[in-house]
Amino acid sequence: MLPLRLQTIRWVVLFLLLSLTAQAQRIPSARRQRRLQAIEADSLIDTRRGPYTLVVTAGGGLSYYSTHLGVPQTIDEPHLSRFGTPSSLRVMWYPDHRLRVGLETGWTTMYSYRGKVAGDNTHVYVSAVPILVVFSMPLGWLTGTDRSVARRMAITAGTGLYVNHSRLDYQGTVMSNTNSLGWMAAASYTYPIGRRFRIAGELKWFDAVAVENAAFTAELQLVWRAFSW
Amino acid sequence: MKPIIYSLLALLLLVSLSCRKTYEAPVPYDFTNLPGSGQFGTAVRSVTEGVYTVSNGASEFGDQVALKWTYLHNGADTSYYLSVFTGKDAAYFNLEGTPQTDSLVLGGYWRKLVNDQIGLVQLTLRVKHQGKLQLYKGKLASGDTMVIDGLYGDKNSSLSHPITFTYNRPLNPRPFSIMAHRSGGRTSDLLPASENSVEIIKLASRLGATGIEVDVRYTKDGVPILYHDNTLNLRLIQKNGLTGPVENYTYQQLSTFVRLINGEKIPTLEEAMETVVNNTALNFVWLDTKYIGPMDKVQAIQQKYRQKALQMGRDLRIIIGLPSTEAVDSYKALANKENTPILCELDTALTRSLGARIWAPRWTLGPQTAEVQAMKADGLTVFVWTLDEPEFIREFIGQNQFDGILSNYSPVVAFYHYTEQP
Repeated sequence: MLPLRLQTIRWVVLFLLLSLTAQAQRIPSARRQRRLQAIEADSLIDTRRGPYTLVVTAGGGLSYYSTHLGVPQTIDEPHLSRFGTPSSLRVMWYPDHRLRVGLETGWTTMYSYRGKVAGDNTHVYVSAVPILVVFSMPLGWLTGTDRSVARRMAITAGTGLYVNHSRLDYQGTVMSNTNSLGWMAAASYTYPIGRRFRIAGELKWFDAVAVENAAFTAELQLVWRAFSW
Repeated sequence: MKPIIYSLLALLLLVSLSCRKTYEAPVPYDFTNLPGSGQFGTAVRSVTEGVYTVSNGASEFGDQVALKWTYLHNGADTSYYLSVFTGKDAAYFNLEGTPQTDSLVLGGYWRKLVNDQIGLVQLTLRVKHQGKLQLYKGKLASGDTMVIDGLYGDKNSSLSHPITFTYNRPLNPRPFSIMAHRSGGRTSDLLPASENSVEIIKLASRLGATGIEVDVRYTKDGVPILYHDNTLNLRLIQKNGLTGPVENYTYQQLSTFVRLINGEKIPTLEEAMETVVNNTALNFVWLDTKYIGPMDKVQAIQQKYRQKALQMGRDLRIIIGLPSTEAVDSYKALANKENTPILCELDTALTRSLGARIWAPRWTLGPQTAEVQAMKADGLTVFVWTLDEPEFIREFIGQNQFDGILSNYSPVVAFYHYTEQP
């Protein structure tokens, strides 16, 4: 995976999401006509906004480091692991329109490798904590029913900071952090299991651009509609 | 659903088009590094050095170039290289004599530092004798003119474009320090060796440098090493998972896990100085203080290699650069600092009070004519750093105020210095 022009993508994705949202809220002309007729017929129509909902999502699963990496050639018997067990926490504001916004953080293993140098064991472990502003929207909004696949599927994109952590175990332990701008993109399917709870499956791409770390994750999530007003 | 599908397709297209191009400039020529000068003996090297007028190839390399020989010691052997410095796009040629018996032929490559253009070049030494062009056989009669011509190619083609240099005048003989930043040049300029590596030190002379500035830091266990940035990052090193300040790691850890972009180890300051003294013709080393803390180990290395150079009959100046008040404090805390030559980048009053023999203001402060003249009147040497803009390099050299320029583009400084008419 080649590094991406983060700035360009970030702004265009944001623009795209906003324009889609605006478009989604535009009522088709026939329906607009019927609604106008209804408004004329019923002067008691409720014009208040809402409801708004605060939704908390927590999940975990499996990650796969999906870009190039380098294991130093000085290491004998190298053993590389690209898999990890990520976890994530997301707080989203669901307004009365399509576009949702929120914050996401969590923890994702990027990769690790171990081996020997002149008989001594070595181990390098790399992980990241994303701190991202995310935007999400369901594929279906004013179409279908609650059972429609499109209304249960959502796409999510975000950008922000990745705190990248490295740990070296060789002749002592060195732990270091470095920050990197980055982005994420995800697609999810949500299934209701109660009035306030859903479970969801999400496929997600994390990309910490400056440090060229990227991971593909598959997570099972619990979605809690924590608060509505 | 249609708008969604179109939007997703647009997003995918956008992502795929947003992939950043990877810039590379691999050197297309394998140097033989043959010891000795071959047919290019002292006399031949002497007559080929100079300022030449460019006829064929002027649109690519400008209308004049400077040709200068350098050498590299390897034990008892010495390899010679011809550099060509041009006035366009920071282009330079790096050439060596090829072992052909019937003519004097140079082979190598050219490169433009402002982009990733690079290509092969092959030149033949000729002489214009009584109006007729003939192969140069090592003798130049009165009235003869040296002509060096041949072909050059680019990334996409082999040798296909004609190029001709015609001797115009000798190189500017005025003493002037051309100091290469980061031990020779920046990694980001796609040079064939990484910045602050032993390999770039060996290359520095061929890039026009007469001296180098090296960035000194300490490892966790107190080994002085060469590294510019505060942290390990992918601008300077190959990906290995390690991040954070270089000072967090011991030398053994760095030596085992970290390789610079072109695969070199991070050198210790001692390894770098060994290279300067044993392999190069460089006459100046500026030890830039990138660390905060005691300076005694750097002072000891400076004194050790100064003595070693003197024993080898070399006039090599090794000075410690003081870029900050913290570095000044470290210098003041040294014992026996009277014999430790320093360069001060701060104001003139502090430079005088420290007894520094070199003052080096940053170039963005302008020519500072009065201050420079006052310092020079007091017997100080004055350098300016880090100047990369060709127009300002030309202007500063033309003003003849400074004794040297520190630059990431030493080929540009070399061009404007050697082509300057005294």
